[in-house]
Amino acid sequence: MCGIAGRILNAPGAVGRDLVALMDAQEHRGADSTGFAVYSTPLDKGYVLRGMGFSKARIDADLETFRATLKEHGADFTSEPVIVSDTSKHYSFRMEISDPKNLQAWVADADELSGHIEIQSCGRSLEIIKDVGGATQVSEKHKVHDMIGTHGLGHARLATESSVLPNASHPFWARPFSDVAIVHNGQITDYYTQRDRLRREGYRFLTENDSELIAVWVSDQMKQGLSMEQALKKSINSIDGVFTFMIATPDGIGYAKDRFAMKPLVVIEQMGELAAATEEQAVRTVFADECDVINYDGPSQFGIWGVGNRSMAA
Amino acid sequence: MSEIVIEVGKRHIREINEEIQEASKTGKPIRIVNTLSRHNLGVGLPDGADLTFEGSVGYYCGGLNTGSKLTIERNCGWAVGEGMAKGHITVGGRAGMSCGAAMIGGTIHVKGDTGPRCGVAMKGGNIVVEGKIGYQSGFMAHSGKIIALGGAGESCADALWEGEVWVAGPVESLGVDVNVIEPTAEEVAEVDAILEPLGLVDTSRDWRKMVSGQRLWYFEARDASAWLMI
Repeated sequence: MCGIAGRILNAPGAVGRDLVALMDAQEHRGADSTGFAVYSTPLDKGYVLRGMGFSKARIDADLETFRATLKEHGADFTSEPVIVSDTSKHYSFRMEISDPKNLQAWVADADELSGHIEIQSCGRSLEIIKDVGGATQVSEKHKVHDMIGTHGLGHARLATESSVLPNASHPFWARPFSDVAIVHNGQITDYYTQRDRLRREGYRFLTENDSELIAVWVSDQMKQGLSMEQALKKSINSIDGVFTFMIATPDGIGYAKDRFAMKPLVVIEQMGELAAATEEQAVRTVFADECDVINYDGPSQFGIWGVGNRSMAA
Repeated sequence: MSEIVIEVGKRHIREINEEIQEASKTGKPIRIVNTLSRHNLGVGLPDGADLTFEGSVGYYCGGLNTGSKLTIERNCGWAVGEGMAKGHITVGGRAGMSCGAAMIGGTIHVKGDTGPRCGVAMKGGNIVVEGKIGYQSGFMAHSGKIIALGGAGESCADALWEGEVWVAGPVESLGVDVNVIEPTAEEVAEVDAILEPLGLVDTSRDWRKMVSGQRLWYFEARDASAWLMI
């Protein structure tokens, strides 16, 4: 049992604040870890990186090694790394970088360092923040409440399929595709089979979490020419298990639900803005009055909520 | 008779339910306000309380009810009236997944639609839904009646046991091991007797009564062919 949420605003605004409220209301669904994917106004060039390191004694050395991989691909840091650290063993960092010549090739090289330092998200617009603990705790540590953006995702995790580790938290970045993130509530039962197939095609997985598969699987389908809507539809019969997941890009948020209708999804849409969550009480923290909710509780449902021109995209 | 008003808001649910229990001893109607779709409201109510929830409620509202009357003015989340033994629950809007799960008695009346698996594993009582019942409703219902006036979703009455699913309106698809039979006039009269107090009798309805095919029920390992046909 996990809790997921999505939020879309009409214009850049307090999406971080809203995502924290949506996840705080669902903390009972999973207090092991909490994560957020926030989409802000895209950079014209360069990327924002969010990541984690696992040895605080080696922060400077590991970041320098990491930077060297970037230089080998014709890019560099364009901002000083901002380090967030507390008493836990890991630390988190945020920085901006210039464009590598080939993003996917650089990510593959940078992932060789994943035992020490790991990219959590890479995007012109996307930033993924995740850590162990509840929504308020993670927000206070990483200042999620203050983040401005147009849309985003949230996740409260009850660890079932893999360990309680900060990097096994959601959302997952669809590495190595920039600006794609997913959150998932459920269990993928053919995870190992699907992951092995994608690994043979060259994809890299950094955790044992089944949800990481969905991010890469959907992005791989889109790379092969499917639209996001087609990929979401295909996922329902191609991925085995019980699930509701949401996948975000700079253009909006897509969702898909399994064939057995086991995992709920509740949506309120008002004045062109949208909040989606596992539980109705969560979306009511954003839309306080008694507006109508839409329950996506049937089997095999999928769709896209666009940012800006949502009714057209849906 | 004056009513007692209880505020939900962000208060602790246990504190609210204890207040409801105390208020029910007075015999006065109780109005629960600012419900915010919170979970577990009005669980374990004794016989005789009369509650109105102003707004929507979350999961398990009215669960384990032993004889109280609950009116939820708008929607409810998962498993309204789960395990209830007696009493009456009215949902003014729609009900989420597993409405009346494992209930053993009483009546749940939903004015809108329900989510998937309405009446899952119910062992008695009646669920009346003015709208459509969701995917796989009636799943493994042991006893009691699910009466849907606005149709049913996919996989209706899947793996039903001795329960009955009555549907007026379109059925998207049937589940495994379901028999659709023509009800007798006597059986229709029994259903109308359940609908009559709710003001929902309509003699022009074209009923489909669904019962178990019993192939799963009497599974015989030495003759698996019946099971394999499903």
